Amino acid sequence: MKFKVSKSKFFESLSTVQNIVGAKTTIPVLSNVLISAEDGLLVFTTTDLDVTMRCSCEAEISMTGKITLPVKKLTSIVRELDDGIVSVEVDEDNCAHMRCGSYRSKIIGMSADSFPPTPTTEGATTYEIDQGKFRDMLRNTYYATAAEDARAVLTGILMSFEDGKLICVATDGRRLALYESEIDFPVENNRDVVLPPRAVTELLRSLKDNGDLVISIKDKQLLFEYSGLFFSCKLIAGTYPNYKQVVINDCEKVITINREELLAVLRRISASTTTTTNAMRLNFEANILTITVNSPEVGEAVDTVAVKYDGEPLTVIFNPEFMMDPLKHLTSDDIQIELNNASSPGLIKSDIPFLYVIMPLRM
Amino acid sequence: MPGDMVDKPDCMNRSILHVDMDAFFASVEQRDNPELRGKPVVVGAGSHERGVVSAASYEARKFGIHSAMPSREAYRRCPDAIFIRGNHDLYMDVSRQIFEIFDRYTPFVEGLSCDEAFLDVSSVRKLFGDGVSIARRIRSDIKSELSLTASVGVAHNKFLAKVASDLQKPDGLTVVPADPEGVRLFLAPLPVRRIFGVGKTMAATLGKLGVRTIADIQKINMDSLIRSIGENAALHIRELSFGRDSRTVEPEREEKSISREHTFSEDAVDEEKILAVLLELASDVAHRVRKQEKFACTGRLKLRWEDFTSITRQRPFEEPSCDDMTFREMARMLYEKEGRAGRPVRLIGFGVMDFISERTSQMVLFENEIREREKRESISRVLDDLRDKLDGGKIGFGSSHEVEK
Repeated sequence: MKFKVSKSKFFESLSTVQNIVGAKTTIPVLSNVLISAEDGLLVFTTTDLDVTMRCSCEAEISMTGKITLPVKKLTSIVRELDDGIVSVEVDEDNCAHMRCGSYRSKIIGMSADSFPPTPTTEGATTYEIDQGKFRDMLRNTYYATAAEDARAVLTGILMSFEDGKLICVATDGRRLALYESEIDFPVENNRDVVLPPRAVTELLRSLKDNGDLVISIKDKQLLFEYSGLFFSCKLIAGTYPNYKQVVINDCEKVITINREELLAVLRRISASTTTTTNAMRLNFEANILTITVNSPEVGEAVDTVAVKYDGEPLTVIFNPEFMMDPLKHLTSDDIQIELNNASSPGLIKSDIPFLYVIMPLRM
Repeated sequence: MPGDMVDKPDCMNRSILHVDMDAFFASVEQRDNPELRGKPVVVGAGSHERGVVSAASYEARKFGIHSAMPSREAYRRCPDAIFIRGNHDLYMDVSRQIFEIFDRYTPFVEGLSCDEAFLDVSSVRKLFGDGVSIARRIRSDIKSELSLTASVGVAHNKFLAKVASDLQKPDGLTVVPADPEGVRLFLAPLPVRRIFGVGKTMAATLGKLGVRTIADIQKINMDSLIRSIGENAALHIRELSFGRDSRTVEPEREEKSISREHTFSEDAVDEEKILAVLLELASDVAHRVRKQEKFACTGRLKLRWEDFTSITRQRPFEEPSCDDMTFREMARMLYEKEGRAGRPVRLIGFGVMDFISERTSQMVLFENEIREREKRESISRVLDDLRDKLDGGKIGFGSSHEVEK
């Protein structure tokens, strides 16, 4: 195997895949990147058995072949090389001889035969969506997932393909974020899958503002193809709670607020909360919202914000974090808060097909 | 500053008591088991186990055994000593009875531990007589009602009261003179280590300056003292050497955390075993939190490796909690993150903190999860009842089953 590649493309490809390495050192080859030289193309693959990542770049291939090399080491070496052409030749002992300018090195690799097979999209159910759209869906729901130690399904995002729509749902049992988009697929492809948090992080990192994204579901695998990248992950097993039973569409009282003003007030107010008093009191009156926190250790804080509201006064207690999360990610100027009373769920809506359900604290 | 005149409290006119139970745990054991009386009794880890002495009877102290000494060392010094693991719940009950006696005399009680407290009786002297009379009454109440003895120091500040209570132990009453010259003479012959803040290291440094007793500090040139131990420490011990201490008695020092630890008899490597012990500790902590009718907001794991390096890791609960299952899950989660496969563990502990007594309860979206939390708490409370009925007997989770999970 022998190839020449530009340093920048080599480095970019390695940085793309280098995050996916096996923590289980019991299988040494999982710390390596599989590099295969095919016609005019270098393909880089890493996997930790749960997640697989693959990308490619153009290269001058003088001899095709495959090798695995320690990805972290290789990436840090290539990062430091001078810009220019890197030439690599692999000998029959699986050692890669690398040259760039005056630099020479020999890197000990392992045979490509020991690298686990990569999942393929063959026979999978596929869906197409815009990359930027899907990234927005993840961004506006991910924060509502449960912490890593919770029930496994709640740590991920539910992707529900249902009757021409993709609905992303995340909940930790106390608030729920939902974002839907219309996409085109036949009814027989209706399906619910749960996207694991690692995949969400990776996708948020690498999805671009626009461009095609192909999502495939096959067996227990989810596969993503976008911008020349291939990314696959194991689905989270288990039944996602029936979110439909808690999603309401409207409440009696509707309050319109400027998103950034409210967020600024919430940030100030929540600075006075503590681990033991993570609650704030929201008092809605005609055109004004007063927010109060009271904690035995810190003291108290009060602030007000102008709102559009003409209903009965209403007081409700929320966890400030839960309220700030959606506001931080939405982009609209105004948001709507909808409430019935102090002990039933509240809603936050925006000008996009987004819905946030938040449970109050009992007074 | 004019404020200087008013800020200084009328220190010399206060009356502070330091009450310290004599060999508390050991004395309770000797009280309840006549066959232990007059014998060296050691409460704490077993004679051949790792872990330390929590209390030693005066008979055992004659052999040089003291609290915090490794139990094996205690055994080496006195193989005939009777080692008792002790009954923590019982001691806590007795402790409560002792503090009830304090409360009869003054609301200003600052508990330092379960068997030791400062009492400010300045404002109740009209009711019960001077500090010495109150000290006598408290000692007599403890003796007649609880058949235990306490040593008491009476002085006009906390430092002097604490020094005094230790001087005539056991069953002693020591009164510190009220005038500055009397105080100076009272402190003068005592070793410098009696001053709080003077530990082994500082005592050694002071020894190099020829300082052995508090009298030496009273006489020393301040500049040389500052040069050798720094200004803050020098001013601190100089003030105390003349018995000047303006700290006030702070009542109601609330428990900031509740925790339990376990030292393995052999450094443990078996992860299942370590986890099983940890989960039991977590249950025990939960039991104590419920007894105090509190909810904890944060959980904390402590691990000490075989080389004595320790780590603590903490994390907030999703919601203020007090049930066994939530504590056990937290303990397991923290351990699984930090436990290193195969690395021998010497000590493991679990604790919780940031207590609240009432929670503004976060409501949940899914009905079945509400039931889950309520179920957990009610199961835990049923366990409490069973534990009480079994009177210290063992009831708990099928840990071995849980370990398999």
